[in-house]
Amino acid sequence: MPTASSTAFAPTRSVGDALLNRNRFRILGLTPDDIIKYFFNGNAIVAVVVLALITIFLFREGVGFFGKSQRDLRLYRLAGLEYVDFIRHEVDEHTAMTRDLNAARLAEFQKLTAEGKTPEQVTAALASFDAFANAFGDSIEDVRGTLSDLSDVAIATKTKARVNEDREEQRDMLLSAGKKEEADKIEIAPVNFAAETGVMKGTLPAFRKVNDQFADKLGAALQSSPHVADPKFQAKIDAVHAKARALIASLPQIEKNMENWNYDAPVPASKAVTSFLFGREWLTASFWQDWYGIVPLFVGSLLVSIIALAIAVPLGISAAIYVSEIAGPREKGIVKPYIEFISAIPSVVLGFFGIAVLGTALRWLSQTPALSWFPGFPMSERLNALTAGCLLALISIPTIFSLAEDALNNVPKHFKEASYALGANRFQTIVRVLVPASLSGIISAVLLGFGRVIGETMIVLLCAGNRIAIPDFTQGLGAFFQPVHTMTGIIAQEMGEVVKGGIHYRALFMVGVVLFTLSLVINYVAQRIVHRYRISIG
Amino acid sequence: MKLPDTAPMPHAALAPPEESSTMIEVENLDFYYGQARALHEINISIPANKVTAFIGPSGCGKSTLLRCFNRMNDLVDIARIGKGRVRIHGIDIYDPDVDVISLRRQVGMVFQKSNPFPKSIYENITYGLEIQGISDRKRLDEVVEKSLRGAALWDEVKDRLHTSGLGLSGGQQQRLCIARAIAVEPSIILMDEPCSALDPIATSKVEELIQQLKGKYTIVIVTHNMQQAGRCSDNTAFFYLGKLIEFAKTEKIFTNPSQRQTEDYITGRFG
Amino acid sequence: MNAPVNPFVARKSSARTIEHIAFGFFRTATYFILICAAVIFGFIFVKGGQTVFRSSFPFVNVPFLTQAPETLYVFQFEGKKMELGDRDFRKFKEERHIKDIPAESYVYSSGGIFPCIVGTVLLVIGSMAIALFIGISSAIYLNEYSKQGRFVHFVRLAILNLAGVPSIVFGLFGFALFVMFMPMLQDFRNPTVLSFPVGFGHYLNFSGWNVCLLSGWFTLAFMALPVVITASEESLKSVPKGFREGSLALGATKWQTIRTNVLPYALPGMLTSSILGIARVAGETAPIMFTAAYVIRDKMPWQVDHPMDFFFQGVMALPYHIYVVSSKIPQNEYTERVQYGAAFVFLVIVMGIALTSILLRIKMRNRYRW
Repeated sequence: MPTASSTAFAPTRSVGDALLNRNRFRILGLTPDDIIKYFFNGNAIVAVVVLALITIFLFREGVGFFGKSQRDLRLYRLAGLEYVDFIRHEVDEHTAMTRDLNAARLAEFQKLTAEGKTPEQVTAALASFDAFANAFGDSIEDVRGTLSDLSDVAIATKTKARVNEDREEQRDMLLSAGKKEEADKIEIAPVNFAAETGVMKGTLPAFRKVNDQFADKLGAALQSSPHVADPKFQAKIDAVHAKARALIASLPQIEKNMENWNYDAPVPASKAVTSFLFGREWLTASFWQDWYGIVPLFVGSLLVSIIALAIAVPLGISAAIYVSEIAGPREKGIVKPYIEFISAIPSVVLGFFGIAVLGTALRWLSQTPALSWFPGFPMSERLNALTAGCLLALISIPTIFSLAEDALNNVPKHFKEASYALGANRFQTIVRVLVPASLSGIISAVLLGFGRVIGETMIVLLCAGNRIAIPDFTQGLGAFFQPVHTMTGIIAQEMGEVVKGGIHYRALFMVGVVLFTLSLVINYVAQRIVHRYRISIG
Repeated sequence: MKLPDTAPMPHAALAPPEESSTMIEVENLDFYYGQARALHEINISIPANKVTAFIGPSGCGKSTLLRCFNRMNDLVDIARIGKGRVRIHGIDIYDPDVDVISLRRQVGMVFQKSNPFPKSIYENITYGLEIQGISDRKRLDEVVEKSLRGAALWDEVKDRLHTSGLGLSGGQQQRLCIARAIAVEPSIILMDEPCSALDPIATSKVEELIQQLKGKYTIVIVTHNMQQAGRCSDNTAFFYLGKLIEFAKTEKIFTNPSQRQTEDYITGRFG
Repeated sequence: MNAPVNPFVARKSSARTIEHIAFGFFRTATYFILICAAVIFGFIFVKGGQTVFRSSFPFVNVPFLTQAPETLYVFQFEGKKMELGDRDFRKFKEERHIKDIPAESYVYSSGGIFPCIVGTVLLVIGSMAIALFIGISSAIYLNEYSKQGRFVHFVRLAILNLAGVPSIVFGLFGFALFVMFMPMLQDFRNPTVLSFPVGFGHYLNFSGWNVCLLSGWFTLAFMALPVVITASEESLKSVPKGFREGSLALGATKWQTIRTNVLPYALPGMLTSSILGIARVAGETAPIMFTAAYVIRDKMPWQVDHPMDFFFQGVMALPYHIYVVSSKIPQNEYTERVQYGAAFVFLVIVMGIALTSILLRIKMRNRYRW
């Protein structure tokens, strides 16, 4: 076999030696090229690291919430707040009914004045109703008194326990700093929960009597209820009647619950989780008991997102179809960058626009008599779910538009040509061939648009009205015109004001965890859909 | 199509057809893309300072083999050598001690699609030297002239050396690429269908150039065009389905092939 | 009777009518979007323009662009209605030796927004530099070096998911990591947090960087990362494979090839497409709310005692200022000026960046063809 040396070849240096270049510069066994490669590699890992850090730090700050929440709920029970809340619910229900009656009276009053009656005439006409309403309202007074007394007891107990907790914390800190003497000086008088709640439970027989009297008075008030001529008015009164009877019927059950209540019953850890995930109240800095239930915020976020998508999906997809299939090249060259340009409008500017212009404009629109047939009109608030939803739609349109347009463009040309060759017109081709072929791409565009909307902060913070309550869905479409608060909004609003490391702080991080998880799930589903679609087209 | 008889060739058939020093020696080479085997037990000895043509239908592995010679296949994630050796100057180029950078300086390559860099003609030629750290202006000037003359392009471009290489015609671009390759003084030039994108006039110029170069360089050319192989190569290897079917002097392959498949291909019965 | 009938003559059919109606709807929808956006631009430009521009020389409201925000006092004085900023109001009282004048006050409604502009520019430049550096490097790895495999798949998945993370979550993350946790090199041991001695009497205290420029930079940069990586990769992909092969075949190393024959052609594209993403990030408020922005700050960013303090100071930022003035103070004729003015200036900055990017990209598309 011929070897290198037998090859008499032009280059003077030995080619073999040149190939076997063993003397390349190395550091730690790496050539400079390897080092450069690992440098770039390291930068690529940043994305993974950031995602991991987000997960770690959100959980690091958030998970402590459940422990704190469990202790908080335990104190809620130990100090007897839970016991008092049985009575509070009863009173609240009654108050709600009184409010219904007042609202009904107001409506009737306006109607009668509109018919041209003087206020005196109206008052006279409503005299019998007013007598009934007063009797109805007064019936609860004694119960309310008991509630007030017991509340004071419970709060006092809770405050004592809280003071002890603070002192313990202080002592632990001193001990860890090695100041034993100072630590020993801190006195902690343990709270006797059994005795404190025993006093409260001791009032149960008396409360039963108060409750019986309440039932009698309420029953008597209902008996005295007048019949009114206006059927609408009567219907409202009848609705209150039904609710009041249900309340009277539920009284024995309430008393039974109070009797079975035990201050020492354990609070399972799952309670902390369920009270967060399914809690219907987000109530902070309250004198009584703080609640961190995500449901009102979640529903609020969902509501504004639904409004936004209801506007953005038809518009975005229509525009995508128009630009990719109908518009000429010049029109396309303007519309596409324009919509891309919209995506760069800062959301805080849109939010400001919502406050300054859109909210007022929408309310003015809702007040025009021609639209009064529309459910929920006129809107009571300038800033509500609709205002935020409209602006969010504008935010999500560019996302939906560009992804849907990509999906339409990715449909192989021969699909379209085959359809044209069969004599279909352009619209038929779009509806029967292009849209079905790109459907999964369009669906994932909508999903990612949804992700964009539900994660948007400034617009909802500025324009959604920030009322922490589950919208009243009994109003049908009217629910869309109520102010809501959202998950993103609550974080932005409250994060600046909370105590670092406290339960409220951690609750906000848990809301962040929910948002983060939601965004990952949306992303995952969108990817799965797109992936499947790629395979099906081949 | 009936699958041809694939009995292993006698090794003698694959030896250089003429007493001459061997430049590239391939021994029992198997090559894979992922799970798919692209080359089956290739044995071939390519003589120095001759033009060797690789012919065969598309996907027969001729380009893959060519790219084994300067390890351009390393750039393909899933490509790997199964077994066998490739020796250049007697050195196994897949040996871990071999520096692939030095190898590629020894083994130049011209691609199917001419790929001058979007730099001036002058910078295109000097690129290979500059990355080796040579920046002596006088030396570079010399190399540029020598390489362009070597690629028969000097007279056409000497007045516009500092204009973009992308401004040249297709044939000129391809010759610029050849000039670029010879500027680093390789001993072997690999050409992967260098004329497939050129018109007949440009093609004949490149072919002329190949004739001029062959005294100084070992040239391996992959081509689809059998006339081209006939016109400008000394030896021709015919590949089919990843196997080397026949390797012989070009006249012999074209006039009196010893294998049935070669004859079928050359007479145009398939391919 | 047998006159040939043209079979291709257009006939009126319901399909045709439907097509017309549907296309009309699509067109209306498209232009509706464009008009909505135009209305918003119009409102802000017209109203904000009244604050920012002047009908007489120098045609620009210089104090608004060069002064810090002040409280506005509106009061009646000798039958005349006066509007004065905080400093002028005090001077006014002193000159007339009046202790107190009953006045309505509106915070931030006088003076200008100069510190906010400076803060925003600083935030954008810093985060842009970090995002471009990491993003382009990542893209180079992914497009030039990486081999298909689990790791790369994982990285791509992370980038994709990062792109969907809501901005407020980035804010929380930045707060938890940079503001509350990142280590500081200090000359004392902080007992309340994790602390490591590093010698020479110094300790690495994991007490966080606090609300500062650095925290904001990294938070914003990480947020922009997915956009920058995706844009850069696209740009790298558009450089023909032949450039790389040609260079490698001449014996260039991988890095030489990338440096001399890939990056110079990809870089303009990388920058222009990344800028659009950066414009979007520059417009975000939520990530900087808890990491870098102050509601009000007297000092300008360059008024620091020690050069290192520059990085560890919070700044005022336009988006946050807009949030504050539009939500914390009432809407009326006095506050409207600063509200619309700030929104206008911010819109012009962000839109300017975005527009430059879009125009450059259109131009580049026509320039590079190989």
